[in-house]
Amino acid sequence: MDVPVWQVIYEELQAENPNFEIISVAQDTGGEADAGPIFDAANVSYTSIIDVNHQISALYNLVNVPSGVWIDETGRIARINEGTYAQTHMNGAFGTDDYLPIVRDWVAKGADSEYVWDADRVQDSIIERTPEAERAQPAFRLGGYYFQNDNDAKAEQYWTLAQELDPSSWNYLRQDLMYEDGGSAGPEWQQRRQEIESAGGSYYAPLEIEQNN
Amino acid sequence: MKMNWQEKLLGTGMVLLLTVSATTAGAQSATVLYKERIVEISDTLADASELWIKPEDLTRINDFELKPQGACLENLCVPVLQDRDSDMYVTRRGQGWFNMTGLADKLQQAWVADYDDNVFSFGVMPLERQSFFRGAMAPDFELSDREGNIVRLSDFRGKQVLLLTWASW
Repeated sequence: MDVPVWQVIYEELQAENPNFEIISVAQDTGGEADAGPIFDAANVSYTSIIDVNHQISALYNLVNVPSGVWIDETGRIARINEGTYAQTHMNGAFGTDDYLPIVRDWVAKGADSEYVWDADRVQDSIIERTPEAERAQPAFRLGGYYFQNDNDAKAEQYWTLAQELDPSSWNYLRQDLMYEDGGSAGPEWQQRRQEIESAGGSYYAPLEIEQNN
Repeated sequence: MKMNWQEKLLGTGMVLLLTVSATTAGAQSATVLYKERIVEISDTLADASELWIKPEDLTRINDFELKPQGACLENLCVPVLQDRDSDMYVTRRGQGWFNMTGLADKLQQAWVADYDDNVFSFGVMPLERQSFFRGAMAPDFELSDREGNIVRLSDFRGKQVLLLTWASW
């Protein structure tokens, strides 16, 4: 959705600070066929990756898209696990205009930006996984292997297992639903999302824009 | 003097067969998934639940190497006795076999297997994320970009990186 928006922002911010880089990672089991045209249409010049096994979400304990991580010059995380739309979409149905200004601030000021979190805050924001939930990624990976080999029954078996092992992952649910009748934003997804939100939870990882100082 | 059955078994070394689960059945292939790798293993030791491989296949799977002191990756070595059979290493069919899933368990690395097809899928190794959970350091990764170039986060040292995930679905 925001792939072309980030391209405009990337050009703007790189002109200001050549050390700024975007690594954009599509969590798409369907690979190039699904995500490729979207990257192409935006003529992206930032680093673009199609991550068919959702490896980045597994590694950084992310459960939904879009998600963002700030990584500083030393490899330290400065923010993590936030629903990071670049702008408001569909008259405010989703997305926010609040994120981009803090990215700009970070690119301009680096470690001195008031939006950089300390290590404790980063630690608190990393989702914890049980050993059982850690098994979801190899289960999903196994389902992907069968999907690539056109064994849909076994793909479904292990994608279902992945969802059972880590029910917090919207990525595993929606990637699977994409291949079912209702689609990734169909009735099942809508129902699950409403359940979360009516229980006071939030579907996207919340964006908290308070300043440190 | 008559030996009892245990002494007879000990005398022939057969008791070891009873103490480890790996059997001596014929060649069985396996497929191993780890990160982006799909590694075909032509010969494994048949076992009901664990994956036993030739030591040389270990490196193809996850870059660990079986050395005299154990299974090693860079400075880390998981001790593996090799002068006798153990839960990590056995000698069968005239050669040594290494317990791949046993290593994963020792490293607390999650794995899932399809035993019908002998496909083993391994997750992230906790040792790669120690400084993520304690120190807020970004875990390194290695993925191909759309042009086929290898992208490693560690190549971006000195850069400010905005890492974004999205999906077409």
